[in-house]
Amino acid sequence: MADTLTNHVSARGLRAPRFSLRQREAIEAWLFVSPTVVGFLLFFLGPLVAVVYFSLTEWNLLTQQSTFVGIDNYVDALSRNPDFWHVLRNSFVFALGLVPLNMSLALMLALALSRPFRGVVFFRTIFFAPVVTSAVAWAIVWKFLLQGEAGAVNQLLAVVGIDGPNWLREPDWAMVAVIVTRVIKMVGLNMILYIAALQAIPRDYEAAARLEGASNWQIFRMVIWPLLAPTTLVIFVITMIGSFKVFDHIYLMTGGGPENGTLVLAFYIYEQGFKFFNVGYASALAMIMFVIVLALTVVQMILRRRDMQ
Amino acid sequence: MKTRLGILATSTVLFGLMAGGPVLAEDLRFTVWTGSEAHLKMLDEIAESFKQSHPDVNVQFETIPAADYTQKLTFQLAGGNPPDLGWMMEDAAPTFAAANVLMDLGPTLQAAEGYDYADYSEAAMGLWVSGETVHGVPFSTSPFMIFYNKTLFDEAEVETPLELAQKGEWNMEKFQEVAGTVKEKTGKWGFEFKDGQGYDSRIMHALMPPIRAYGGDAWANGECGFDDPEAVAAVEQLHEMVFEDKSIVPPGEQGDYFSGSSAMTINQISRASKMSEAGFDWGIAPLPSGPAGEAPVIGQAAIVVFERGGKKDLAAEFVAHMTNKENVAKMAQFFPPARKSVLESDAFTQANSIIPAEQMAHVSDAIANGKVLPSHERSPQILAAMAPKVDALWRADADVKQALEGVCAAVEPLL
Repeated sequence: MADTLTNHVSARGLRAPRFSLRQREAIEAWLFVSPTVVGFLLFFLGPLVAVVYFSLTEWNLLTQQSTFVGIDNYVDALSRNPDFWHVLRNSFVFALGLVPLNMSLALMLALALSRPFRGVVFFRTIFFAPVVTSAVAWAIVWKFLLQGEAGAVNQLLAVVGIDGPNWLREPDWAMVAVIVTRVIKMVGLNMILYIAALQAIPRDYEAAARLEGASNWQIFRMVIWPLLAPTTLVIFVITMIGSFKVFDHIYLMTGGGPENGTLVLAFYIYEQGFKFFNVGYASALAMIMFVIVLALTVVQMILRRRDMQ
Repeated sequence: MKTRLGILATSTVLFGLMAGGPVLAEDLRFTVWTGSEAHLKMLDEIAESFKQSHPDVNVQFETIPAADYTQKLTFQLAGGNPPDLGWMMEDAAPTFAAANVLMDLGPTLQAAEGYDYADYSEAAMGLWVSGETVHGVPFSTSPFMIFYNKTLFDEAEVETPLELAQKGEWNMEKFQEVAGTVKEKTGKWGFEFKDGQGYDSRIMHALMPPIRAYGGDAWANGECGFDDPEAVAAVEQLHEMVFEDKSIVPPGEQGDYFSGSSAMTINQISRASKMSEAGFDWGIAPLPSGPAGEAPVIGQAAIVVFERGGKKDLAAEFVAHMTNKENVAKMAQFFPPARKSVLESDAFTQANSIIPAEQMAHVSDAIANGKVLPSHERSPQILAAMAPKVDALWRADADVKQALEGVCAAVEPLL
């Protein structure tokens, strides 16, 4: 592109180029990235800065009245509102349940499906299909399957003599149900990432280890697992962030209930902002969530770096 | 170049003026929650008739699903894109009125020729008037009725709610008895809460009819009534029906009345349009009476004009047109009227093409004697505070009284 421009100008021989090659390249580069930069500023950085400001105000969406209250919203959440700690606990329970289950299942599936065999594409498709399925359809079908006595899950359990709980109406079971159905929905994505990483590992390493007499477990533990570490970090970070941000699944399956048993942070923020119209308070909660996710990501990166050293 | 551009701009403007005529048409944007073709056709006809006095005004009806209605309306208001006018549900009315976003329609309605504002009873306007200010005009004052599946009642060989009502025997005890018998004899559920959502988004629709039949109420004068003995007795009966008789569709199960899985449900007559698709015989009957006698419960919705809309005076004139006697009579086929003259006329009971006049007479009675569902300035917060406590109530081993005391403890600070 730069060459074309230069040729074009000098061929016409009208005047010396106004900008040096370096400057022209810089201008072109900026022109290329400008749509993204504008989008980033308008739709990401702008709202992010706005949320910080909103979190310092008491702003009612309906009346449009806004008062600057300093850090009151933060104090309110952290020390005066008992619901906040309950909600935070639920978010951690959700993340602690979902992340290990999702990652271990994804790794197991990837190990099974990373090598070519007859029907491998079929199985990969089966496990990836829920990722591209509509969240609404997914939740509605699971709500149906998880009904108390009439639900298919409980009827299957009854066949083997187990009296299943009323999954979505008992607080602890409801949390288990939303975690497991979410894992089944999203595990395919992590599986694909792991498959890609596994296929990138040169076969020679494994062959060399086998020559040395290493068992399958030893090969996995000493060769494959360390080489998967960068992918594992990425998967951990995106899965954890995703689990803290979970909203649609909760909204559609339990609405935060029963007895606030599945009321997680993202859903609570939605309730405060969009049901009670307390935008200021909701913004403060969103900032707290941002800090938690950021802190967990940083900790994980530090641990990973230490591990590498 | 500049001259050419100038010519182009001038000719465009001139052409635009010629095409648009001397007066430009005005659009009014009107938000509703119905998506029913029959409802929208009727609304369009009313908008068309407004053109007789305002030939250049087009009214555009915009459907927002009921579940998100209030929320999306709030976003439109907050986002600087308010509709000119819209429907509003009873539970949202106090919140919006207190936020001063609703226009006072009083002066326009009083000035409208032949409007007869006094035709609206004080009771019907109660929720929409504060002092001299009229925040909205109710277009639907629709009592909750029992819808029953006659085919299932016949199969179980029990008298229908309508037959029992006509004999004066339709009460809470009988309700429990027939629900149990139908369940026992047909294997189908005896009763389903409104739209199967009585345990989550329609808590009030589930609890208020029996509580009022027993003589209780949700709250009054800043005090919670859920733990009063009347309310406790009413809810204990429901609890027994859910967990002992197993005749009401329990939490976490689905038993859709409209597809024939339940023998009875509670709904409003606007929903009768759905019954034409049902493959069974059906009818409507009043709510069962209780120790406090008959206590019909009404769901109300009104038309409001938004202060922040750009054409509020024109919008107010459309409200006056839409809620005049003629149009209220027209709407009565779907939305029971709050105008006394229409309600008392034979035209109302005979207006409905799918519900027989004898059943519509029960609707008229319920409107005349009923009480609107409870509402409050802080309804969203109250309902959210109640929800987890009500969840605790719907466990098989729950102590109903204790659970309802929990509801009151959560609600009282907000009243």
